[in-house]
Amino acid sequence: MNTPSVGQQPHGRGHSEGHGHDLAGLLAQVACGDHAAFEAVYDKLAGPVYGVARKVLRDPAQSEEVAQEVLLEVWRSASRFDPARGSAAAWVMTIAHRRAVDRVRAENAATAREQKAAPDGDTSEDVFELVDMALDRQRVRRCMGSLSALQAEAIKLAYYGGYSYPEVAGLLGLPLGTVKTRIRDGLIRLRDCMEVAP
Amino acid sequence: MSAQSHELHLLTGAYAVDALTGDELDDFEQHLRQCRSCAEEVSGLQETAARLGLAAAIAPPPSMRDQVLDAANRVRQLPPPGVRRITADGPRPRRRLIRRLPRPIAVTAMAAVIVVLAIVQVGTRHQLQQAEANSQAIASVLAASDARIELGSSTVGGTVTAVFSEHDREAVITASGMPTPSDARVYQLWVMRGASARSVGLLPGSSAGATSPVLADDVQPGDQLAITIEPAGGTRQPTSSPIAAIHTRP
Repeated sequence: MNTPSVGQQPHGRGHSEGHGHDLAGLLAQVACGDHAAFEAVYDKLAGPVYGVARKVLRDPAQSEEVAQEVLLEVWRSASRFDPARGSAAAWVMTIAHRRAVDRVRAENAATAREQKAAPDGDTSEDVFELVDMALDRQRVRRCMGSLSALQAEAIKLAYYGGYSYPEVAGLLGLPLGTVKTRIRDGLIRLRDCMEVAP
Repeated sequence: MSAQSHELHLLTGAYAVDALTGDELDDFEQHLRQCRSCAEEVSGLQETAARLGLAAAIAPPPSMRDQVLDAANRVRQLPPPGVRRITADGPRPRRRLIRRLPRPIAVTAMAAVIVVLAIVQVGTRHQLQQAEANSQAIASVLAASDARIELGSSTVGGTVTAVFSEHDREAVITASGMPTPSDARVYQLWVMRGASARSVGLLPGSSAGATSPVLADDVQPGDQLAITIEPAGGTRQPTSSPIAAIHTRP
């Protein structure tokens, strides 16, 4: 997840370092039309991309559509990924989250989300990088635990819930300014906790 | 730092989790282009947000893998940013446009899918000639700068994809993964406006799971593209409820 060329942390970040490097390298191959590399990217990121879509959209069919769009977008615009500007995983996940949020904010999405709310899918991850994912999950959980309750709640509603920050403010009954700063402060604390560069 | 830019700076977190909307989003993105420290902070917080996403991984439906990998065979890739075609509008505005409008990218990608579907799915020479005549109109919709893609699910399973150009007032529709209708039944496509329905024609039979694209003309924003199951040969007006409906949006 780390950028191999720019902004790397000299002390490294264990498993994620190699993982991220792989992914950036794979994307460079994908940009050259390498289908095998795209398969490898799929196997690494289809789970997170689909997972984030499910978190935000809930509806499995819509989530699958969004995940497919995002992954094809990765294939299509792999040449536009610039390792100097961030990690490969962040590039893909930013596209995925934005696409899911766009979908949820499109008309009727709010009602569709309530009507179609399905339980979270089973979390069998056998096809994915089981160890990496488990470590990520563990670290995220641990770092989330270091936030104040309000920071954690605001971030979860915004990121996993796909709510805009004024909506988060409404849900939590807090002033806009408070939510704005809680999200930022919370993310900064998470960033430091997870040692994400820069 | 002015009071206003300080206010904007506080939005880095909300921006990184896509929690900004409307004018505030536009203002912040404009600010981001001038504020190096904001851009750096956003980049770091996006890495953090991505970790939240990675931690949410769940196994997608197994069928998705083949669908995506297969579709990649038919999607033309963007050239590297260094390779620039010489065009009147130049590459810079183009790139900015792409960054700011993520949705049309998918349109082009899916458009490529549809065009190739059109080509691979016609078997005979006669069909090929017909497809060629039709494909020009279809290509025009798919290439329209305002083309948008809309996806819908069908109640009998499968996905319906429509690419709509408000400028051309046309839409291209294709369906995939829908079961073959039972004997003496067909899928019929309609443009629905208010209470009226106009037949576009029958959905062609599918091969390899997807139908050839169908062109619908005189489509306006707000119209619905709907599919019903009808007796063989089709009907003048729908006789059953749609199994899929897609709203066209401007």
